[in-house]
Order: sequence, then structure tokens, then C-alpha cells
Amino acid sequence: MRALILREPVILEMRRALQISLCMLPVLAMGADDIAFFETRIRPLLAANCYACHTNSKMGGLRLDSRESVLTGGNSGPAIVVGNPEGSLLVQAVRRTHLTLKMPPTAQLKEEEVASLAEWVQRGAAWSKQESLPAKAHDASYVITPAQRAFWSFQPVRQQKPPTVKNKIWAKTAVDKFILAELESKGLTPVPAADKPTLLRRVTFDLVGLPPTLQELDNFVKDNTPQAFAKVVDRLLASPHYGERWARHWLDLSRYADGQLAASIDTPLPNAYRFRDWVVAAFNQDLPYDKFVKAQIAADQLPEVERAALLPGLGFQALGEQGHDQVDVTTKVFLGLTVGCAQCHDHKYDPIPTKDYYSLVGVFRSSSTGQYPLVSKAEVEAYEAHKKKVDAMKEVMDDYLILQQKLLPDMLARNTADYMVAAWKKDFSTKHLDRQTLDRWIVYLTDPKKEHAYLNPWFDLMKTNPSEDQVRKAAQDYQLFALNLIEEGKEVEDKNYVAFGGKKGMKNENNRQYTNIVSLDTLKFYQWRELVSGPYSTDGFKAPAGVYYYGPKEMDRWLGGFAKDHLEQLRIELKALEKDLPPMYPFLHTLKDTDKPADISVAIRGDEKNKGEIAPRGFLSILSHGDRQLFKNGSGRLELAEAIASAANPMTARVMVNRIWQYHFGAGIVRSTSNFGQMGERPTHPELLDYLAKRFVDSGWSVKSIHREILLSNTYALSTANDIRNAEVDPENKLLWRAHLQPRLDIEALRDSLLAVSGKLDSQIGGAPSPLDKGSNRRSIYLTVSRTRLDPTMALFDFPDANATSDNRPVTIGPLQGLFFLNSTFVADQAKALTDRLTNEVGADNKTRIERAYLLLYSRRPDARELQLGIDYLNEGSADTSKAWQRYLQTLFGSGEFTSVN
Amino acid sequence: MDRRTLLQTLGGGFGLAGLTGTLQAATADPMAVRKPHFPGKAKHVIYLFLNGGMSQVDTFDPKPALIKYDGTPMPGAKIVTDRASGSLMKSPWAFKKYGQSGIEVSEIFPEVAKRIDDFCLIRSMYTDSGNHGPSLQIANCGHQLPGRPSMGAWVTYGLGTENNNLPGYVVLCPGFPVLGASLWTSGYMPSIYQGTHIQNSAVEPEKLIQNLRNGELTPQEQQRQLALLGKLNQGYMDRVGAQPGLDSAVRSMESAFRLQSEATDVFDIRKEPEHVRARYDISDFGRGCLMALRMVERGVRMVQVYHGNFQPWDSHDDIRIHAKLADKTDGPIAALVDDLKSRGLFDETIILIGSEFGRTPMIQNSGLEKLGRGRDHNTPGFTVLLAGGGIKGGTVYGSTDDFGYKAVEKPTHVHDLHATMLHCLGFDHTKLTYRYAGRDFRLTDVSGNVIKEILA
Repeated sequence: MRALILREPVILEMRRALQISLCMLPVLAMGADDIAFFETRIRPLLAANCYACHTNSKMGGLRLDSRESVLTGGNSGPAIVVGNPEGSLLVQAVRRTHLTLKMPPTAQLKEEEVASLAEWVQRGAAWSKQESLPAKAHDASYVITPAQRAFWSFQPVRQQKPPTVKNKIWAKTAVDKFILAELESKGLTPVPAADKPTLLRRVTFDLVGLPPTLQELDNFVKDNTPQAFAKVVDRLLASPHYGERWARHWLDLSRYADGQLAASIDTPLPNAYRFRDWVVAAFNQDLPYDKFVKAQIAADQLPEVERAALLPGLGFQALGEQGHDQVDVTTKVFLGLTVGCAQCHDHKYDPIPTKDYYSLVGVFRSSSTGQYPLVSKAEVEAYEAHKKKVDAMKEVMDDYLILQQKLLPDMLARNTADYMVAAWKKDFSTKHLDRQTLDRWIVYLTDPKKEHAYLNPWFDLMKTNPSEDQVRKAAQDYQLFALNLIEEGKEVEDKNYVAFGGKKGMKNENNRQYTNIVSLDTLKFYQWRELVSGPYSTDGFKAPAGVYYYGPKEMDRWLGGFAKDHLEQLRIELKALEKDLPPMYPFLHTLKDTDKPADISVAIRGDEKNKGEIAPRGFLSILSHGDRQLFKNGSGRLELAEAIASAANPMTARVMVNRIWQYHFGAGIVRSTSNFGQMGERPTHPELLDYLAKRFVDSGWSVKSIHREILLSNTYALSTANDIRNAEVDPENKLLWRAHLQPRLDIEALRDSLLAVSGKLDSQIGGAPSPLDKGSNRRSIYLTVSRTRLDPTMALFDFPDANATSDNRPVTIGPLQGLFFLNSTFVADQAKALTDRLTNEVGADNKTRIERAYLLLYSRRPDARELQLGIDYLNEGSADTSKAWQRYLQTLFGSGEFTSVN
Repeated sequence: MDRRTLLQTLGGGFGLAGLTGTLQAATADPMAVRKPHFPGKAKHVIYLFLNGGMSQVDTFDPKPALIKYDGTPMPGAKIVTDRASGSLMKSPWAFKKYGQSGIEVSEIFPEVAKRIDDFCLIRSMYTDSGNHGPSLQIANCGHQLPGRPSMGAWVTYGLGTENNNLPGYVVLCPGFPVLGASLWTSGYMPSIYQGTHIQNSAVEPEKLIQNLRNGELTPQEQQRQLALLGKLNQGYMDRVGAQPGLDSAVRSMESAFRLQSEATDVFDIRKEPEHVRARYDISDFGRGCLMALRMVERGVRMVQVYHGNFQPWDSHDDIRIHAKLADKTDGPIAALVDDLKSRGLFDETIILIGSEFGRTPMIQNSGLEKLGRGRDHNTPGFTVLLAGGGIKGGTVYGSTDDFGYKAVEKPTHVHDLHATMLHCLGFDHTKLTYRYAGRDFRLTDVSGNVIKEILA
């Protein structure tokens, strides 16, 4: 909440009231009871409900983390009047009796909490001497307060017994009992179950991302045994397509792409997909989640016997960026903590000091990315040796070209005056002038608007209708200046080079450092750039190449005789070498510890030049038991992996079961699935979350066991039917009295389903990525993911930006998506293919074909009205029945029933 | 949506309840034209976003003291900026007084300067975060954290749209600005209020909008498809009842159909006469301005034009790049003002020009960079421009300190700007609410004051 503005008289009244109360009331002696009351009832309450906004962020100018700040109050005046709950803004706000102040803004406090607050104010508002929240950045003496420790997600996972419920028949499984107990306590009743075809369609999309086949539909509908649905779930979990569906969720989280992170131009990584394939296989094999986690942090340090199988998992880190990105993604994804917020200052809301943050950065800075070859050592060496030859040859050629290129401006600049005069006269006949360079001069001298004044004499002269002599004189003056400037530029470069350890005049351009410690004066630099620099561009602004600049690739026309022959010869040799170079061997993107793992310093306010204390590598304080756990082996990655993938860690299992829940129900038990901290949401069913987390660990971290736990419940089988009474109490359906209808399939399921029903789906599993715009019919998970140029169709349907972890895709719906169904050739092609498929499978009768189409697309038969609509449409339209069919099917694709999951 | 469906929708918590409570009686169509709280002067919004952060002291907030103190540390208060900042740096450009109002404008905006009497400059803007992300969120959605509806969503939620064949709220950018779609999201509102993002780097409408044309089908044939689709969808919706998001998913097909013909027309700036086009056809931003003009002419409620991809105005290395940026911006803004006037739309359209924050009067200390002639992000003070319906032209509101660092006179938060905008459209910003998760939300969160002094 930002400032709440009360009318002035009210504030005055409040102040007066406070003064009076302070004067008249004796100072209350704070007894031990009062302090205990505060510590047990009030501080945790404030911490849980108010600290997010009323500590460092001082919403409305108000802090609630010390007695003084409460008494001082915020923009609306003192928060409490000691001894007078009725007159205290804080109490009025939580009671919601105040006209405008209603706190907390999102959820009302429980009655007993409100009563406690009032009692506390009545009893004198005792406050124990202890700290207010640590506020200073990089504070060495960071203390985690008891209130912070008491936060729900840091508590150990507790064994939870499913509660007793009234409707014992409905509550089939433990999950049902937890859900129903909550519903019953609010007087809500679950809606009826979904019908069998709906349920089958739902679970099939859920687990494999495709609609059920006719056979699958038929089997399930006819199976009247009590285990019918369990059989379906088992079949789907055993399908290789299950891994493809669920790996995609994980790839969203791990910001997977087939190209380099934070590259300014698209930089494909042709081996990245090996991580993707490993994730698919891991889900299919139900690789225990703790091992899955460890592999993605420290596979290189796991026992020899399993290492090879787990090594591809390191792509999780290696496809990211060393340091900050790895810490951010690792902590968000595995721990549900926004540790990344502590980069510049201690975390504002969660007990994560900056020092902890840099402890983790140190771990990753002590690890470097590497390529782990998937071929024999001999093959690698043979390749590398040959590659070295190619590179050396390239360097020879580049050096030669760069040398020529550097000489060129010097030569051209000696004719500057002639170029300028010729440009002025538009005279193209001067023999010793180069035409392209002259053209550039003409353009350059056309616009007098420059960022410097060095050409002002020239342009001033131009306004005076000058004689040729005058022009020549001005041109010569400028030439002298230009030659000096070019010389000065070279000196600057030499100085920089020498300063960085090179020898004057002996530049290896490939290794040159481009950081400059001395520079031309700014305005001179601009002028220099316009003469001899290569093209320059930055956001939104491009400068063309200088008039005398020609790149290495443009050197040919300047060279003749021996020089040209030499270049030719170099080219031929390079070509021959390149021809013999085999394609690079396959490898995995992995990490390994650096030779000298080391702690790094805290970067004060995130500025690495401003070094604070050393942050010894270790685990997060809040998640360490007793003393903070420091890492001793190598980089510390294995210890980090073990600390995360541990049953004793309160976050890991909870975070993962919650993610599984979200992908099944559309929303997590904790809706902020990657933030279990203060600013995240609170669990709607904390006991259920713990129950599932415990089951998860007890099952040997089996993801599939959690699927079963969830899917076999009656809760999962609920229909999406509305219920006015339920909706009044719980409009967002947070308590799950019905199923959430998924209004639009994600792009993978949408595209894959279109291909599946048309019969065009290429179901090959794994392998190198295929670009979508090349007309691939593979499942969407295998399409190339670029970090810089997202495919427009994928982007249109909310495919996430692969530069950051994505835990929940937004669903945007708009007309441009409608156009995809109306007009895209992709949809038209699938409609055509499906027309052929229908004719092949059931013949030419319209009614039979319509029925088959409904079964394939919607997993049900059309009713009489729908059948008639179809027949009418097909009869009215064009004489070409196959065209009419195509359009009809395109329409069926576009309907809400196909694109949503009920 | 018939009345029964509407009631179900309300019962299902779809969330249109905010409309019934605070505006006139809800109409069945969430995009139908609705009357605001009181007659507003303006009906449309064009938001020209100079993303990256336009420097106030080089454009619309002259500071002669910077010339005097050039190269010396800023006297007085301790300065807190994101990164180490160096000494004060004078603007490379001269300022001059223009118009009846005599408002001073930098030489890099000569065309806007000539029309300065049409503009109101708020020189005392401030915002909450020095990082692009959160500040972009505040500027567009009124809150640092993502997930709140954008200004355009609020405006279309409040007023509906006048042209059902085009989206009510359109966002133009050659590609994506930083944060992309979360800047034009509908947040917790129905997704129909979300901005339709069009990548306007091309000129031909077919290239602007993927799948705009159907190579095979005639409009009549498509209409038949659509009629069928409508019946199928109605059947589906009758069967499943009110479901969040489903209605707009279903509608998107109809609007797509209408978009085809209308978009082909509206986005085709080649239909403008050459003398009109020439004034805009110098940059993506310029062409975006012309498209905005054509859209407003056809009843689109709000158009936002981003200057370019990522954050072009983020001149950390070299402030002089501002001149290049202004070059691409100045003429089209002037043309837009002129053409809105000649088409009788100026008085019913608010034009808002601004950035997520300003830039420091100090040089940015960028270590070993070749050219340390840039400026860092500045949140305590920056300038925005307003013009058009409901705005008093030729006015300056508020001021920064002697160096242009901090708003000192009449500090104006982004919430105040939003409140004022909504006022011009006829809304009491405290009453334009949307109930979500048990709370009435506003664009202005829990603050914001209408700036009466700048109202016409």
C-alpha cells in the first residue's frame, strides 16, 4: 500500500489523542508476560502479514518493525494509541472499520489475530528489545530474526495425517480428504465429476500433451472396472510421450534454448539439445528427483558408476551464464527462493543476506563450463589438431588483411584535399582518386550537421560562393588536420596496447585488448570515427563506416601483383585445410571445478569493483542447520547439490510437488511456484502440501508416484461445472470445488494436436532441433528455440522468453491468434490432411466423416444439431467437396472445444 | 453474450462485476462503448513511449547551472544513483524560447518546439525504481511488480471501443521493448483488454501481421465459416457454462475475421497522400505515429508506440545519441499533432510522451569505456509531455532543482500522471476499480492526485 491520505483534521485529532494518551497514562511496566505475548502472538503476526510492505519498503511511510516506528506511524499518523485499541489506526485498519484504511489489503486477518492486536495495544504495546529487521546492505552482523525463521516455508516438512471429513464416500484418496476438509469448513461442496471422455481428454493432454486416440477412448469408455482410470494413468505414464510433455515444463524452468544466453547476436549451440533429451529421458525413466537435481548441479562429481548417465544434466548450468544467472535460476527453480534479489543488498523480504548470495556466486565462479566429448580421446585429438591448423591459417590470412587494411587509410588520407575538391566539383575524372571513396566524400560533405566543429570552416566557406582556390585552400587545411588526427589516433592505440603488455608496433590483432585507458578527446573521436573507423552501432543508432574505412573483406580490389597473388594463395591453402576438417565431434555442455576454487568478495551494492568482505562458499544461512554450512570440497558444487537435494531441506520437495500440482490444476497450492518467500503467496492447503512432499520423499523422490497420488483422486476428476453458491464464497476456485477449465492449449499441445489428428505428426523422439519455419512436423519440444529470435508463431501463443526461468506461462488471447486458425497455411494443411485421413478411414459419407472428426478432435460424438450444422455447411458450400471439407475442419479446429481443455 | 450467460459469468467470478458496480449498468459486450463517470474531454489515448529513458536536461528541462558547473561534482546533497556517477555534464545542445508561452526547448526537438504551445510539460516527474524493468512496469501498469493490468487495459475496460473490427488497444513496436508483453497485459482482467502487439517494422500490412491474408478463401466463404463457428462455440459454452477466459478465446476468432479487412486498410500507410506520409516515413517510430493516427481516426481507444526495440534511449555511453533519436522522433510527433488537428481529433485525443525515467545530469562513470559521455538512469526527476484533449497547452508544471536532478516544486508521481489522464477521459481514478482477489484494484494503486492546474 502506498500512502493513504487522510483529511488533515483527522490526522491532527490522532496526534492530539496520542499526546493526551502519552501524558495521561502512566508508563506501563513491561512485564515478561507482555514480552512473551508480543513474541508469540504479535511479532509472528506482523512478520507474516505486514512486514512485506511495512519494513524497509515503508509503504504509506509506515514501518512496523520497532515500537518507535509504530508509535511514530506513517503518512496517516501514529499507527497505535497505546492503551486505546479503538483509537488506533492499526486496529481500525485490521478490523476494517476505518473508512479508507483496510489492512492487510488482500486478506483479512483472522478474528483471533485481530483480537490479539487489540489486546496488545490495550496492554501497552510491549516490544522486546531485540532488533528491528536488518536493513543495512552487506552487514557483516546479519542476524536472522526468530520471526523470519518462523516463516512457514522454512519449517520442516511435517508428517500430515489426512483430516476427517463428513462426506467419506466422496473423499476417496488422501488428497481428496485435504481438499474436502477445506471445502466443508467453508460450507462448499464439490461439483459432480467430469464424464469419462472429458476426463480422458483432460488427463491425456495433461500427461502426454495430445488428444486421446479413438482406440484409447473406446477402451476407457468400455472399461467398467474400478481400476479403469488407474489403468489409463499407468498407460500414459509409461508412454514415451509423457517425458516429452513434462520435460517441456522443466525446460521452461531451466530457460533452455538451442543458443547462447545473453548473446547479442544469435549464437546457436548445436549440442544443447542433449540436455533437452536427457530431461525427456529422466522423466520417462522416473529418475529419482533428488538425483535429477544433483545431476543438474554437480553430475561431474557424482559416483563414477552413474556419472556418464547423469552428465548431460549439467546443461542446466552450462547453458546459462556463469555466476549470477546460475545462482538465480538454481535457487528459484529448486528452492523456490528469489536469492537473486540479494545481489545488491540483503534481501528486502526474505532472510537472505548479500553474503549468502556471493557465497553461491563463489561456488559457480569456481566452476567453469566445458565440453565433454562423446567420442574417443583419439578422435578429439585428431579433430583439435586439424582445427588448430585451420585456425592458424585463418590467423595468417586475417593478419595479412588487417595489415593491408590499416595501411589503406594512411594512403587515402594523403589525398584528402583532392577528394574534397573533387567532391565539391562533382568531378569524377581525377585519375588518382578512388570512385567509391569519392562517392563517400560527396555524401559526407552533403550534410553540414556534424557532432564536432572541425568541418565548420569548410561549410562556412561553402555558403559564400567560393572560388576554386579558396576551396582548395580550405581542403588542404583540413587535410593537414586529418593526417594529424589519424596519427594521434594511432598513438592512442599504441599507448593502450603497450599499457596492456604489448610491444609497440607488434600487434597481434586477434589477441589485442580493446579496453582503452587513454582516449581521444570526445569531439576528436567523433571526427576520427567519421574518417577511419568501421561502422559503429549501438541501440537505435548507426554510424556508417568512415570515408576511408574498408573492411578486411573489401581488400581485394586494392591489391595487385604479388600482394594479390599472395592473398589468393593463402585462400587456396585455407580452403584445402577447411575441406579436410571433419564436423566437430559431439559433446555435452558441462561444468567442472576450476584449478583453484576460491571465495569471492561481496560486491557492495552489486558493484564488483566495490569489494566488501569475503563470502566463504557455503549454503544459505536460513536453510542451514545450526551453524551455517560451509563448503570444503573443490568448488563446493557437490555439497550444494546435496544440501538442496536433501529430505531435510524444507523447500526442495515442497517446491517440486507444488509445481506438479500446478501443471495438473493450472495453479499451485502455493500460487507463486518459484517464490516461497515473504512476497510469494501462502499455500491454500499447507497440510496437503506437506503430505505430498513427505510422500514424494518416501517414494524415493518418484515424480510418477506424485502424479498417481494426484490423478487418482476425485478432486482431479471434478467437472468444470459452475455452482453459484460456491462461486460466491470462492470465486477464484482456490479451494478446488471444481476443475479449472484451461481456456487455451499451450502452443506445443495445440500444434502437436493438430498434427496428431491430421495424421502428420512425426513422432521421432529426441535428436537435433528442427527449425519450425522449415516445415517440420516433429513434436514442438524438438523445434529450435532461439534466445534472440523467437519464432513468431510460438511467441504469439505465449512461448516464454528463454533468457529467464519461466514457472507459469501467461495465457494471452487475442485476434492475432484467431488469424492463425483462419488463415495460416499450417492449419489449412492439417485440415487438408485430415480430410484425406477421414476419407481413407471411413469413406465418403458426410455423416460418418463428421462423427469421426468429432471423435478425433473432441473425444465425443456430435449431437443431432451439430451433425445437421455440419451437413448443411458441407452441402451449401462450394461444389468441390474436398475444399468444403477442408474449410469445415478448419472451423472445427478453431472452435473453443478443440483449443481448450475442459 | 446474452443476459443469462452474463449472469453466469458474474457468478463464475469472471470479474466484470467491477463494471456494474462503478460504471453505468453493464452491457453484455465487454468492449461496448461505455460512458465514463463524467463527460471527459478526451476519448482516445496515444502514448508515445521513448523507451530507455529520455534525458530531461538535454530535451525539455534546461539547466544553465550545468554550463557553469560542467565537469565539477554536483554541489550540495549526496546523490544516490544506481551506479557511480561522475561530475555534472552540460548539455551538448542549446535551448531557446519558443511560442507564445516562451517555453524553452532543446535544439534537438525543433519541430516539437514550434508547436510547444500545444504541449504541457511536467518537469517534476519522479518514479520509484532506477531499474528499467520496475520503472517500465510503473509507467505502464502503475505498479513495480508485474501482473497488474496496463493503462491501455484500464482505458478499454473503462470506455470499451468504438470500432469492433479492430482491437481496442494496440501496441506498436518493431520488435519488443524490455519486458515485452507484460507492459500491455490485461493482468487479472479479462484478456480481451490486453494490448494487441504489432511489430511495425514492415510497411505492407501482410508483413506486419502474420496470417492476415487467406490465399484461398473469399470473405463470403470465411463468413460462412464464422457463422458455423459461432454456433459450435455457443453449443460448447452452453455445455460447459461460464468459464474464465473461454469467452474471449472464442471471441478472438470473430475479431480476427474483422481484423483482416480493417487491418489491411488501417495499417496500410501507403494509402495516405505522399505529403502526409513523407513526414512520418523516416523511422519505425514515425510510421507507428501515422498508424496511430489512422487507428484513432477509426475509433481505436488507445495506441501505444514504442520508439524501438529493447531500450533505444538508454544513452549510457554517449548522450549525443539523443540527437539521433530525437531526429527520428521530433518530426513525426509534430506531424501527428498537426494531422490530429486537421482531422479534428486533437481535442479528443490525449497524447502522452515520456519514458520510464530520466537521466542524470551527471556524466556516467563508466570506467575504461572509450567514450564516457553518457548519463545514467534518473528517477528523482524527469519530464513528460502531454497534449490534446483536456490538457492546457503552453504550460509548464513543476520543476527540478538547479541541476535537473530532483523534482523540487510540485513533485509529480507516475500515479498522479495516470490519475490526470483518467480524469481527461472522464474517470475518477479512485472509482475506476476492478475487484480481484477480494480487493478493489485501481490503476493508481492507492494514491495519485489529479493535477488540476494542467487541465484545459
